[in-house]
Amino acid sequence: MTRVEDELKNALRRREPPQGFTHRVLARAAEIGSRQADHAWRELWLKIFDQPLAPANLLRWATVTVLAAGLVVGGVHYRSVQRERTQGEAAKQRLLLALRIAGRKLQLAKTRVDQINSGRVNSDQLHSDPRANQQERE
Amino acid sequence: MAMAEPVPADAAADVVVGDFAEIVRRHQSMVFSIALHFLADPPAAEELAQDVFMQLHAKLSTLKSPEHVVFWLRKVTSHRCIDRMRRHRMPQVSLEDLPESVAFSLGVQPADPFLARRLQQLVASLPGKARLMVILRYQEDLSAEDIAQILDMPAATVKSHLQRALAMLRDKVVRTMGEVR
Repeated sequence: MTRVEDELKNALRRREPPQGFTHRVLARAAEIGSRQADHAWRELWLKIFDQPLAPANLLRWATVTVLAAGLVVGGVHYRSVQRERTQGEAAKQRLLLALRIAGRKLQLAKTRVDQINSGRVNSDQLHSDPRANQQERE
Repeated sequence: MAMAEPVPADAAADVVVGDFAEIVRRHQSMVFSIALHFLADPPAAEELAQDVFMQLHAKLSTLKSPEHVVFWLRKVTSHRCIDRMRRHRMPQVSLEDLPESVAFSLGVQPADPFLARRLQQLVASLPGKARLMVILRYQEDLSAEDIAQILDMPAATVKSHLQRALAMLRDKVVRTMGEVR
């Protein structure tokens, strides 16, 4: 190798790019990546709804329609089941409260009846005991 | 010599090429320097190098091995340099018209700064393809066969271009700076 070649190697040796080069490249790549993701979604939708009446798309349209109808029906059914469940829960709570109140009233009435019954028994016993009657007469 | 063999199409498709950020870090000086030595314009060289890496980002999954990545980067950078020269109609600058500041703008601090600066000016004055061949030969240390694969031309053509370019450079250095062997 001649001196000119040596000097050429020296003059043309690799240089580092300006500071922040890697960061700038990666930022551009990330930006392009996100743009491509958006574009892919748009492409997918365009593909689905492009030429809706073409025979090749009929099956696709039918699938989309059935799926959409299924989603709507499912949503409505879910809402109605939820509403019925909520109403049932409220009715159950009201019934339980009414039963509790009725139970308490019944308990109260039973206590009163017991008290009355026990008072009558005491007075009957007093009147039907012969020894007690004799002592009373004497 | 640096490796520049193109990878056969049937090479194992699942060879892991590696993380994009790591590839950028590893090869940025190579890509940037080819562009810088060709264009002699640091901002333009950075823009071109960024574009090359953006293209790599899109193509990365199709590259089969690290060697394939290096070969691809050299090839795409070289072709982009030529395309840019054609698009912008970069003039064949005569030596007298070259700005003195070009070499300094490259940030060169060689052993013989005056000769290195002069050589950079002379390389910048070469025709596009010859300039690229000299850069690939002396910056990347590639053989004529490797350069021929990158530039899609016969090895004999590359050899003759290189010989002529080297003779011209030597002649001009001798004329402007005195005897250099």
